[in-house]
Amino acid sequence: MSRIVVVTSGKGGVGKTTTSAAFATGLAMRGYKTAVIDFDVGLRNLDLIMGCERRVVYDFVNVINNEASLNQALIRDKHVENLHILPASQTRDKDALTPEGVGRVMDDLHELGFDFIVCDSPAGIERGAHMAMYYADDAIVVTNPEVSSVRDSDRILGLLQSKTHRAERGESVREHLLITRYSPARVQAGEMLAMEDILEILAVPLIGVIPESQSVLQASNSGAPVILDKVSDAGQAYDDFVRRFLGETVPHRFLEVEKKGFFKKLFG
Amino acid sequence: MSGELVEIKGEMTLLSVLRLASANLETIQEKLQNKRDSLPQLFDNSPLLVDCSPLGEACLTLDMLGLREMLLTLGFIPVGIRNIAEECVEKAMQAGWSVLRAGRATGAPSRLGRSVEPEMVAIEPKVTASTATSVKVVDRPLRSGQQVYFPEGSLVILQHTSAGSEILAGGSVHVYGSLRGRVLAGIGGDTSARIFCQKLEAELVSIAGHYRLLDDMDTNLKGSPAMVWLDGEKLKITPMF
Repeated sequence: MSRIVVVTSGKGGVGKTTTSAAFATGLAMRGYKTAVIDFDVGLRNLDLIMGCERRVVYDFVNVINNEASLNQALIRDKHVENLHILPASQTRDKDALTPEGVGRVMDDLHELGFDFIVCDSPAGIERGAHMAMYYADDAIVVTNPEVSSVRDSDRILGLLQSKTHRAERGESVREHLLITRYSPARVQAGEMLAMEDILEILAVPLIGVIPESQSVLQASNSGAPVILDKVSDAGQAYDDFVRRFLGETVPHRFLEVEKKGFFKKLFG
Repeated sequence: MSGELVEIKGEMTLLSVLRLASANLETIQEKLQNKRDSLPQLFDNSPLLVDCSPLGEACLTLDMLGLREMLLTLGFIPVGIRNIAEECVEKAMQAGWSVLRAGRATGAPSRLGRSVEPEMVAIEPKVTASTATSVKVVDRPLRSGQQVYFPEGSLVILQHTSAGSEILAGGSVHVYGSLRGRVLAGIGGDTSARIFCQKLEAELVSIAGHYRLLDDMDTNLKGSPAMVWLDGEKLKITPMF
């Protein structure tokens, strides 16, 4: 059975789409046949981050409405093999998403032999977010080290326990916490919530900490998921996160303020 | 103590409120009898406040004396009437009613997310303040926006509760993790109910309707194991050990 993973957060702008793109790319790089679906109908973004905006012909809503086949709508990624993108519609709204329609797409993706289906959730707790999480087996809850983001994630965790297909059957969705935009220097200065505080409030297993990094914005603008940037700390942290998701034990990095070494001091 | 033999104090007491949506005594009697027969021990000799707000204009046709007598025959003790038209006040007083000033049509429990379905005669049953013996155990964290409502007895939360969550129990509340949300114990009026927690960070604590915001409370027990209880009229927070 395909494993369905929702990337969600409640709050907007915390890095759901960046994470979805990096995560799906990371899974595909390891040989898993992966599909990533943009559930943000009306505010299509994933295609931009993945650099395939000029290749969108049919979209998710077309497939739900039987106006196109799944194969017609799936876009093959140009960076990595085994990766396919199902873009959102820009001209419709979230009401176009129905549990039956989404369920059918999930079944069809399973039929096509996908190992992983990554659902990029829109912000909020309304229909779009609900549909994105509904069929999930796993949830990556993306949180920024900031109080409002933590509270919204808490709310989403509550919904994952009650408003999903698994919850309705008395099972539970596996929860993973991913902290993004983490800046150890600002934590040390007391301007940001520390990782320990977030874990204390949310009490969810931590799967990764992505440091605040210039490379994320650069990657977004150039349409290449940041995980492809092997040099950047954010790219490496995303890679660690994917490995942990697949069951490897990888120590957490980028949690301390970087001490400038001799060469760094010398060459900047 | 002062030497006064008689003392009059303003106090909040929990009452059953009968909301009338019809002025027809026969219909009311029939519906009310059904309600009473389904829970006789709850309503026997129980004081009742009549709320006429759903009635509107029809209030003018209401037989005040008849209503009072009918309630007495059914075993209720009518204590007052509210939300009646100005023109009816005289008539109600002559019939022996005490006319109360207009209150909120729906009681506190509705504000806390419990809505009362509109029907011909709606009655919000008073939860008995006697021993509530059953216990409900919640083994998952209570997240922001989630609510546990257990009027039948005590609640035990094995994990933490988050800011923006709400616990409502007829009896006591025990939280074995951090307590961050709102917590209301003794919602049926049980003044012996208490709140126990490992780490007190609550937004609001309440016992039997006596509530306090933790921000207002003069306590140095924030973040420590603590117990909230009612000492007469005063809500107290003390260390557990």
